Amino acid sequence: MSFISLGNNGFFQESSTEVVVVGFIHLHVHSQYSFLDGASSLDNLLSTACELKMPAMALTDHNCLTGAVRFYEKAKRSGIKPIIGAEINFDRKSHLTLLCKDKEGYSNLCRLLTEAHLSNKGQAPFVSKESLSKFSGGLVVLSGCYKGELTSLVMNGRIEEARIASRYYRESFGNDFYIELSRYPCREGMSSSYALANFAKEINTPVVATNNVHYCKASEYKIKELLNAIDRNIPVSQLGGYRTVEQYLKSTKEMERLFRDIPEAIETTEEIASKCNLELNIGKLHFPRYDVPQGETDYSYLSKLAYKEVINKYGQLTANIENRLAKELTTIYKLGFCGYFLAVWDMVRWARERGIRCQARGSAVDSLVVYVLGISNVDPIKHDLLFERFMHPMRLEPPDIDLDIDRRRRNEVRDYICRKYGTENVACVGTINTYMARGAIRDVGKAMELPKEVIEEACKGIHWLSASQLLREMDSRPELKSSEVYHRPELAEFFKLCAAIDGFPKHLSVHLGGLLIGDGRLPDLVPLQRSSGGDIISQYDKDDIEKLGIVKMDLLSLPTLTVIEDTLANIKKTKGITIDLDKIDRNDPESFAMLRDGKSIGTFQLESPSQREMAGRLLPNRFDDIIVSISLVRPGPLKSNMDKDYLPRRHGKKPVLYLHPKLEDALKETLGVILYQEQVLKVAHDLAGMSYAEADGFRRAMTHDRTEAEMEKMRDSFISSAVSKGVDRKTSEKVFEQLAAFAAYGFCKAHAVAYAELAYQTLWLKCHYPAEFFAAILSNQPMGYYPSRVLIADAKRFGVKILTLDINKSLDFFTVKNGALRISLRQLKGMSEEAIKSILSEREKKQFTSLRDFILRTDVNQPIIENIIKVGGFDSFDNRENLLKQVSKLIKLRSSIGRRINPLIEDGESANPEPVATTYADTMRQMLVERDLLSLDLSAHPLDFCAIHDKFTKIRDLCLMPPGKAVNIAGSVIRYQTPPTRNGNRVVYVIMEDGTGIADVIVFSDVQEKCGQVLFREGWLSVKGKIQKRGPKAISIIAEELTPLLSEDQVVGSSIC
Amino acid sequence: MSKLIGEPVKVLQNKGSMITAFIWRKRTYRVQEIVSWWREPSDWWHGKATRLFIRVNAQNTSTGTYELYKLGEQWFLSRVLD
Repeated sequence: MSFISLGNNGFFQESSTEVVVVGFIHLHVHSQYSFLDGASSLDNLLSTACELKMPAMALTDHNCLTGAVRFYEKAKRSGIKPIIGAEINFDRKSHLTLLCKDKEGYSNLCRLLTEAHLSNKGQAPFVSKESLSKFSGGLVVLSGCYKGELTSLVMNGRIEEARIASRYYRESFGNDFYIELSRYPCREGMSSSYALANFAKEINTPVVATNNVHYCKASEYKIKELLNAIDRNIPVSQLGGYRTVEQYLKSTKEMERLFRDIPEAIETTEEIASKCNLELNIGKLHFPRYDVPQGETDYSYLSKLAYKEVINKYGQLTANIENRLAKELTTIYKLGFCGYFLAVWDMVRWARERGIRCQARGSAVDSLVVYVLGISNVDPIKHDLLFERFMHPMRLEPPDIDLDIDRRRRNEVRDYICRKYGTENVACVGTINTYMARGAIRDVGKAMELPKEVIEEACKGIHWLSASQLLREMDSRPELKSSEVYHRPELAEFFKLCAAIDGFPKHLSVHLGGLLIGDGRLPDLVPLQRSSGGDIISQYDKDDIEKLGIVKMDLLSLPTLTVIEDTLANIKKTKGITIDLDKIDRNDPESFAMLRDGKSIGTFQLESPSQREMAGRLLPNRFDDIIVSISLVRPGPLKSNMDKDYLPRRHGKKPVLYLHPKLEDALKETLGVILYQEQVLKVAHDLAGMSYAEADGFRRAMTHDRTEAEMEKMRDSFISSAVSKGVDRKTSEKVFEQLAAFAAYGFCKAHAVAYAELAYQTLWLKCHYPAEFFAAILSNQPMGYYPSRVLIADAKRFGVKILTLDINKSLDFFTVKNGALRISLRQLKGMSEEAIKSILSEREKKQFTSLRDFILRTDVNQPIIENIIKVGGFDSFDNRENLLKQVSKLIKLRSSIGRRINPLIEDGESANPEPVATTYADTMRQMLVERDLLSLDLSAHPLDFCAIHDKFTKIRDLCLMPPGKAVNIAGSVIRYQTPPTRNGNRVVYVIMEDGTGIADVIVFSDVQEKCGQVLFREGWLSVKGKIQKRGPKAISIIAEELTPLLSEDQVVGSSIC
Repeated sequence: MSKLIGEPVKVLQNKGSMITAFIWRKRTYRVQEIVSWWREPSDWWHGKATRLFIRVNAQNTSTGTYELYKLGEQWFLSRVLD
């Protein structure tokens, strides 16, 4: 055994100390990261291995290393030597087990896996013989399970072919090639392993025992079979094939007993484990390389850019600005982040030059360098932001500049990065999709052949729940205990199975924004594959990527930026005005009045019920109020009652007091209350004399989990420092208690300011250009908090007229004409891209003159044509009934004569349009069609047809009623929410609409108990309750009773669906 | 060749839980050797449990090979092998 030290400059280093392993070692183990094949988590595998006193264990998931980094870390913590490997598909048809001996082996395995996935688009991944020979260095090869090439040849008696095949492995891997023997006791005995052992002897190759582990305990074979059935989308009863219960993590004794006639197969496991000494060099950072002009270094170039741009931003370089810029640049240089900053700058510059809206979010906004380079729009000097919250020499983590980018154009930026840094060197960060309760119920239910109705019923009552929680809480949660489906004895085993796969990975997909840019050797560091959408993604998720030190960039698609861009374009088109949002009045009274009135639906960050309620309490009238509001309406601050400290001071009902005069500077902007993380730094700096870097360390230490002893140590250190600076002990103790309470909940001000900018821009646009704003937001659905029908209802309340879909006027997005909003073609159910293209390209040549003209000139299919007719798209030609009768005939005509750009026979003038919805029944029918085909309430609201509608209070009238007044409202549920509460008791918020407005209904636990059968299940409710006013304009209803709104005496016909 | 039986039997075990004999159709078969044992997957989705099988050489009037399995607490003679 050799242990070569390669030093620690590489990504991996060889182990400096030999790990002596004794006894049997499992070298072929699948975890849940074998995606729907492995039935045990890493934690369970490792704890079982600990119980069995295994000194080492390998992880060999199918064609991936997704679990490798976390396995490596967890195994080390458990005192088990981790061996990293994979079971690959080899040469299209067989399996092979590969284990990494060292850094070279790991890099080769990454390359092989990447090639296996990327070279075989549209088919199962596999490694070719040529690739394996090329990248064989540093790898140990075991001949594989019963699907291994040699195993299956020998089992089928094709010994001569096996002899020939074995030459390849011996030539490629020499002494690192082993014949893998697995034995599963069964009726037929274990004769196959004898044949293979004899063959190994004949070709003079050592044998090694494995158990091809797929689960910890024998009883878990059911889970494996269940997962296999889900994977193949068949009932588990039809799974067929070879079945065994033996692929569990057997003890050394069990394995020795199995192989007592071939003891060398057990001994070889020790030999192989001792060969494998890969050490992941966690913590070393890998930055993208930015090519600077000749003669420049990363630092000199970054400094040059920053000093040039700072003048453009500020006009002149004051001492304060110059000092700060110099300090930031020095820190960035010392941490080695200059190249990273240049890469981000270059990306943003490229995007902005092409009119793509993008900007930084998060703590990066604290940086002056980020601001002057144009990466962020927030001036950190003006907003008094602290660079040290973002970065300082004591914080040895990868820098993190998250960018929000116009959703529509985000991929243009990604493609630019691929071109600049090389396609092979760029990938999206992968994310692991795991099972929650609903997914588990659906998939397990299907595999177990449960009736669809039962599956749907079981899914209905679930609101943000894992399957294990479901199992634990089905007798305590009101909505679960009141439902019989969870308590049927015949389903008890089914729910246990659902819980058994709780949190199991289903598949890898693309992380929302993360992009990896390698330092030139990404495929050596990270195995890559394709997502189902075709994107190249890492097999590691963002946390593991971070642990490996590969710097990622977050390019997040933000639809709000698209909405802003579209609104400005709409305004330019309809009004001929070009608006510069950087120059609008930041304290516009009309916009703030709208916000205070809770009319902020559709705006960024300010539209949620909690935000609208906060606006009614805070009564914002200046830009800084939005920063406060965004920071306050978070689970943490609300849970710790920050709002109750701040709001009375804001309204002058409580005096602004500081525990010590030294705190005034840090807390003045928030009236003595600690709201922002940056303030924690300032307080620790001003009171205890810490440097800002130390103060950030202090803040972070208090934010993370810590023991009582650690907390006590921090307390002593803070108090003694403050006392040494002349602050009395009592005050120091009080301040520390406040910091300890608020540090975990305080919000990053830099992020709040960046989002407040966008929030204000959307507020201002909605206030002054509602039609243009609604057109933009409706064109960019899905986004935000509310569905289109709620936005349309809101647009109407803003006086915007809604125009129906018109085949000669509607575009693929919502448009504005004369202050009215035209519904888009895309809004129609079933509409396809091809159909839109066909309609628009033909219309560009000439308007459609009749239904016949339309059908003969376009490729649009019959169902879409019929839907367009039903929603009135052809109303200018004839009445809908007549038009629908003609469709089939005209489609046949098109099939027989083909598409005609200019139909041979032109139609005459169009008939009189149908007088739309003249009777009660017509209106109801039309409303139903619009709901179904456009997902909008245009002609009417379903409640208009509710027989007892008049008995209910209209939501719009709630604001006129006094607190405590009993009301009874009815409406459709927009969503249910369960925000965290200070005492841990669950409070359910039901957001409802009735066509006149939106109401927030609060359901406390006593009412949840009473109305459990309704919660999370019903789409339409009637609510009895009392008005609550938490502020002058903050209205909600405290529910006393919830009932479904579906009985026949309440609703006419089936209009409510 | 083997003959399927599927009848319940009574199993006698020593203090170490080793099977020493089984009684089938009122006759006692003394176990001379446990040849092999294994577990077989069941149709668990129908609520069936995994079966533990044991193949033994046992003697009554003459020596034969017998396959037993355990289902819950009950043992069954699965088959007699020639």
